[in-house]
Amino acid sequence: MGSSRASEPFDPDGVVWSSVSPRLASARRVSGCLPLLVLATGCAVAAVVVPWPPLWPPVVVFAGLTVWVYWLAGRQARAWGYAEREDDLLVRSGILFRRVVVVPYGRMQFVDVQAGPIDRAFGIARVQLHTASAASDAAIPGLSPDEAARLRDRLASRGQAQLAGL
Amino acid sequence: MTAPDDAPARRRAPAAADGQWHRVHPLTPAVKSWQVLVFVLVFLAQDYGQQAFRGGFGDEGGGDGGFDVGRIGTGLLAGGSAVIAVVVLAAVGFAVLSWRMTRYRLTAEALELHQGVLFRRQRAARLDRLQAVDVVQPLVARIFGLARLNLEVAGAGDSKIELAYLTHEQAQSLRGHLLARAAGVVYETDEAPQAPEHHVFELPLQRLFGSLLLSGAFATAVVAALAFVAFGVVSVLVGNGDLGPFAAGGIPLLLGVGGVLWGRFSNGFGFRVATSPDGVRLRHGLLEQRTQTVPPGRVQAVRLSQPLLWRGVDWWNVRVNVAGYGGGSGEQSGESETTLLPVADRREALTVLAMVVPDLGVVPPEHPVAVVEAALSGSGTASGFVTSPRSARWLDPLAWRRTGYRATEQVLLVRRGRLTRQVDVVPHARTQSLGVRQGPVQRRLGLATFAVHSTPGPVSPVVAHLSSTAAAVLLAEQAGRSRVARLAAGPERWMDVAGSISPAAGSPSTAADPPGTDPPGTDPPAAGPAPDARPPAATS
Repeated sequence: MGSSRASEPFDPDGVVWSSVSPRLASARRVSGCLPLLVLATGCAVAAVVVPWPPLWPPVVVFAGLTVWVYWLAGRQARAWGYAEREDDLLVRSGILFRRVVVVPYGRMQFVDVQAGPIDRAFGIARVQLHTASAASDAAIPGLSPDEAARLRDRLASRGQAQLAGL
Repeated sequence: MTAPDDAPARRRAPAAADGQWHRVHPLTPAVKSWQVLVFVLVFLAQDYGQQAFRGGFGDEGGGDGGFDVGRIGTGLLAGGSAVIAVVVLAAVGFAVLSWRMTRYRLTAEALELHQGVLFRRQRAARLDRLQAVDVVQPLVARIFGLARLNLEVAGAGDSKIELAYLTHEQAQSLRGHLLARAAGVVYETDEAPQAPEHHVFELPLQRLFGSLLLSGAFATAVVAALAFVAFGVVSVLVGNGDLGPFAAGGIPLLLGVGGVLWGRFSNGFGFRVATSPDGVRLRHGLLEQRTQTVPPGRVQAVRLSQPLLWRGVDWWNVRVNVAGYGGGSGEQSGESETTLLPVADRREALTVLAMVVPDLGVVPPEHPVAVVEAALSGSGTASGFVTSPRSARWLDPLAWRRTGYRATEQVLLVRRGRLTRQVDVVPHARTQSLGVRQGPVQRRLGLATFAVHSTPGPVSPVVAHLSSTAAAVLLAEQAGRSRVARLAAGPERWMDVAGSISPAAGSPSTAADPPGTDPPGTDPPAAGPAPDARPPAATS
């Protein structure tokens, strides 16, 4: 949507975006929807067994939230993108609140690769670049472990080559 | 005590830089734990006084039971004293041990500090990563002529090396060595000459008072006090005059405001700014005196701000981001460290801005001062500023004409605020990363917010509500500009770039300074408007 207005900061000219793995959506769905689903079923069971009718509105709310999170996770996962340029890395994310971050390789202090239990179960990892600024939040979730390792090494070597002082 | 730290350090500096391990001053444990000592002394004095009092009472009165109570009390107190004595002895023993375990050493590349009794810590800070050197004298340390030396390197979290305590002379001599080595200058002698200083600014006491009177905190206090009085009057007239609940709410507020004002006063007291080849030197503090040295190129970003009440007198407050200072982000982070000028008039603020950002990158037909003036108090597109488009008036009805940026060859100037004005200056070479954000309403209006990410500190340059096309252009251009500037940036060792270190040249601070003719208390000799080289090593 809005592809005609492409002179936007979120889609600079000549940038080819790589997207993250769709398994990110699955992982987010598990971590986001499962607790809501448990709450919804819990309330529903209580409402039937006790029985206490006022518990039905929460059931509806939690079920609705589950559907919403399920839908949102897919959209958000599709919105993540990153691009390796000659001198810097671009990371974009968000649909309603969009943002893009440009991190020069020479400014990179260190790279983190993280994967929690759910991430590992879905075979994804998260790469995060750290600069001397706390504000430059350049994290790419949902990379396959191979891609994460490749990106980490590539960023590290490029950072080494272009290292600057503060 | 308030004398500029010059002559004595040079004359009889201890061999701080011989590459050997040194201990900190033996009085360190006492100075670090003076509160405990005072507490113990007060307790003992009270104990003694009570015993004397009870003894006297027992003799005189001799009533039934009174004597017994007195004896029990005395016994308890004696027991308490014994416990206290044991605790104090243990504490003293630990403090002495901890002092013995604390050692530091200055090598060619690093300052190393070993400390800790149970949990040992060895820390080495690379000198070419040095961001700032502070010599801090808390009141008690000042009484004993001691000082703490803080070496800031740019690390995440607590990355400074703190040498506490040295004698004031040692601290200054060590600072000279640290700065010289960080600058890439090697001295053959044991002593590194202190770089000559050029006095730039001194904050008059009246203006410090004035700035506090015109502060928002003071205004709040006045309003609160008036409200309190009004409420009191009404309450007496109408009801039973019970002020208790209201006082309970009002007094903490007044105390808080008083604390803020006192902090600012104490921190800004005697604020002086000087420039030297080693960078900007700041001295300030009433009880705790702090001498800061920030070498060239270490200032990551500058913010000039003007609170509403200062507009009439055109005063400005100048804060900086220096990696390692402050700790956290936010307006109040490390206020005592990151303040470059607590309150200054426009001319002084510009002078100091020129010190920390020597090249604004404004090309000749245009005058740098005109550009900065436009940033300070201008609005609209004069002087090449790019401002928010008209559609931004829905989100920022007051300041949308003023919100804007101007990119010169070397720096990005960001201005904002209609009532309280702010100007951020970020050298392109110091940009860490860039970001653009856009919320749903902004998207409707075709706007986006651009941010330059700087190191943690009070300055976080953000241009809100640019047109999204302008934001895209700025993002692309700024990435290019900071890349070019990074490549052209000077070396971390700031004297490497000068190449003007000729050992034959006369040294203003070592040769032309016969010992004993430099009474403490005089200002350092003015070494020209901008001394551009450290005094060369006295090798000849």
